[in-house]
Amino acid sequence: MLSGINLIAVLGLSLLTGFAGLFSFGHAGFMAIGAYSAAICTTILKLPFAVGIAAGGATAAGASWLIGRATLKLKGDYFCIATLGFGEAIRLILDNFQGLGGARGWPGIPPSTTIWNILILDVIGVALLANLVRSRHGRNMIAVREEELAAQVAGIDVFKYKMLALVVSAAYAGVAGSLLAHYMTFIQPKMFSMVKSTELTIIVIFGGLGSISGSVLGAVVLTFLPELLRAVDKWRLVVYGLAVIGIMIGRPRGLMGGFELTPASLRRHFADRKEAKAAKAAQVAEDAELGKDGL
Amino acid sequence: MSDILQVRGLTKRFGGLAAVSEVDFSVREGGIAGLIGPNGAGKTTIFNLITGVYKVTAGAVTFEGKDITDTEPYKIADIGITRTFQNIRLFKNLTVFDNVLTACHASAGYGLFDSLVRTPRFRREEKVLRDKSIELLSILGLADRKDAIANGLPYGLQRRLEITRALALDPRLLLLDEPAAGMNPDETEQLMRLIADIRDRFKLSVLVIEHHMDLVMRLCEHIVVLNFGQKLADGTPDAIRGDKCVIEAYLGGGDE
Amino acid sequence: MAQFLQQMVNGLSIGSVYALMAVGYSLVYSVMNFSNFAHGGVIMFGAYFGFFGITLLKLPFPAAFVLAFVGTAILAVLIERIAYKPLRERKAPFLYFIISAMGASIFLENIIIATIGPTFRTYPDVFGRSSIALGPVAVGRLDLIMFAVSAVCLTGLVLFVEKTRMGRAIQASAYNMKAAALMGVNTDRVVMIVFAIGGMLAGIAGVFFGMKYTVYPQIGNITTKSFVAAVFGGLGSLPGAVLGSILLGIIETLVAGYLSSQFRDLIAFVILIGVLVFRPTGIMGKTTEDKA
Repeated sequence: MLSGINLIAVLGLSLLTGFAGLFSFGHAGFMAIGAYSAAICTTILKLPFAVGIAAGGATAAGASWLIGRATLKLKGDYFCIATLGFGEAIRLILDNFQGLGGARGWPGIPPSTTIWNILILDVIGVALLANLVRSRHGRNMIAVREEELAAQVAGIDVFKYKMLALVVSAAYAGVAGSLLAHYMTFIQPKMFSMVKSTELTIIVIFGGLGSISGSVLGAVVLTFLPELLRAVDKWRLVVYGLAVIGIMIGRPRGLMGGFELTPASLRRHFADRKEAKAAKAAQVAEDAELGKDGL
Repeated sequence: MSDILQVRGLTKRFGGLAAVSEVDFSVREGGIAGLIGPNGAGKTTIFNLITGVYKVTAGAVTFEGKDITDTEPYKIADIGITRTFQNIRLFKNLTVFDNVLTACHASAGYGLFDSLVRTPRFRREEKVLRDKSIELLSILGLADRKDAIANGLPYGLQRRLEITRALALDPRLLLLDEPAAGMNPDETEQLMRLIADIRDRFKLSVLVIEHHMDLVMRLCEHIVVLNFGQKLADGTPDAIRGDKCVIEAYLGGGDE
Repeated sequence: MAQFLQQMVNGLSIGSVYALMAVGYSLVYSVMNFSNFAHGGVIMFGAYFGFFGITLLKLPFPAAFVLAFVGTAILAVLIERIAYKPLRERKAPFLYFIISAMGASIFLENIIIATIGPTFRTYPDVFGRSSIALGPVAVGRLDLIMFAVSAVCLTGLVLFVEKTRMGRAIQASAYNMKAAALMGVNTDRVVMIVFAIGGMLAGIAGVFFGMKYTVYPQIGNITTKSFVAAVFGGLGSLPGAVLGSILLGIIETLVAGYLSSQFRDLIAFVILIGVLVFRPTGIMGKTTEDKA
């Protein structure tokens, strides 16, 4: 269940990082905004869960828009620090805001999240993202990631597309946050710290930058695994850390960097293998022929 | 014949250094103009000033009668000017096809909602873009390589791809920054013909920065010579060839 | 008035610790052009090295102190060799470095949690809790020593960078790595030394931080503040890092003292946002324009 929730946040981050090339170390902050907004809707305003989710996504998106205006014009490094700062700032504000439970947290949120809403939202999430990426909007984001200057002279409004990626990814994070709140029935600012943000980034990298199927696989594997390895929980992050370094050095493309698992690509993969095998067989036959002629 | 591009008093200072100083010239509509000068003369800086990558310290750039000085770079393509770069800036990890397809985005008539939900309009417009990309690639002789990764292309074809990408935006003025750099005489010859072809077929105007004197003298109808950021001479190839200042400063006694 | 001065002094003392952290970070940034997010982990290890030097190995303070910063210098170089060098050789995009740094940071923090445990440790009282009165202000002995050592270190660093051959090599590499290499500078060596110095400073900062507050695995997170300080002063500028840190320390303490301690951590981020929006290059940073 938890992987399904994580998946949505990961999908969003994947758009921002994998496709638009912007690294955010504060995405948990958007999840937090989503979680708290949704909780406000369902507990204080007594609105239905669906509204809560929508509100969660919308507020996170709105916040990201504000943050984006301030930070997207900055050079890469500065943007990373800025996102780090914002993520932590949001957590700190929530920590000190007693009205929403402060650091001790907010219990008593209705457990409205079910395996069904998660699955449905997962599917919608993947579909929307796939559609976005395979359109001119997605292509423009990728262009910005590849060569910002060339993208500009190709008429792409770099700022607008970076902002688009940021807002969409924040909306996804906000929705994930709302789901999380109604799954754990309890939220605490600590749950949305830098550790969580980093975890999300690691999953995106592990799955492979620029691959939606990679992010899906990554989210599932990396959320399930620790659940199975409960006993060695302390070491989970130690291994994470090493794994990240290892991936960067050994296989920065992650599991599926740049590739997508689609019916077309699978077909092509198998067709290539068949072709290769046929070519090899032909070669063997040819060699045999030549051998027979005593050459 | 009117001027499609006019540059007046263009000046760019970096701190105390004047990279470009009081430069005036025009490009005739439908013409192929050349911008030459020794390295460091300020040629690429002028391109950057025209396309808004650098902000001008003084002077004005007029395109089709309108002042476009200091426009944001991403709006320049919309206005009708596109360019290539001295050090090729392709989307290196994308395929040849994707490089051109991405650049076609401006001709697409669909919005975000259409993308997300895949409306019929999206499908229709996407097809238009794809067809356009294939057509361009065919014209420029790259169609058979359309699925190759841009980075893996031979150098000459990479340059051609960059030009194709620039054309995808339906420009009326094409700025080419050293398109023949690193090419042998054969390739340069091909490029020359290509540029003239493109100009005729797409009804464009072209401004070329080049060091290959051969190409410039034979291709361009009008040449502007720059040295140390200032204009040295301005005229037809014959006039330039005979201009004493130019010969002294740049052409020397022999070939490039 | 005395209150104000007292706060200023407190601010200065925490500022000097931030300065040690920020300078190490800024030094690496200026040469490698990337943010070493693992810096925090190294600082934290410094705190632990010192702590165990005193408690476990029963070393006198000066020895433990040296152990700490030598240990972190080695650690920093190790991290460079393992996590960054392979990327450098492959000319990987700088974002890969950041991710690797993040990985290292997570690894460092959690290896401590997994092995030694997350409980807070307190340094034994090395300098005594007495404070010295300087006019109307009371300055803790620890604070005085911290400030003095920081000043010595930073002056030493400046002298090193300005006056020695290696220092000039570092400056050259900071300006343009490739050009420096072409001029015969052993850039590999330079990188190693830069990380070693950064690690050393981190270790010193770690020990002091541990002594002033407590020792715990998440000390690394405090370095977010040193990033802010470095950005505030101007990324890549060493004097800027010092200036930014001291200002941050003072502002933080004043805010905590006069407004509310709840805002203490938050103010760092407010400053960050302010800097990024209004003057991203910081107080002393330099602007660069991208060449086409």
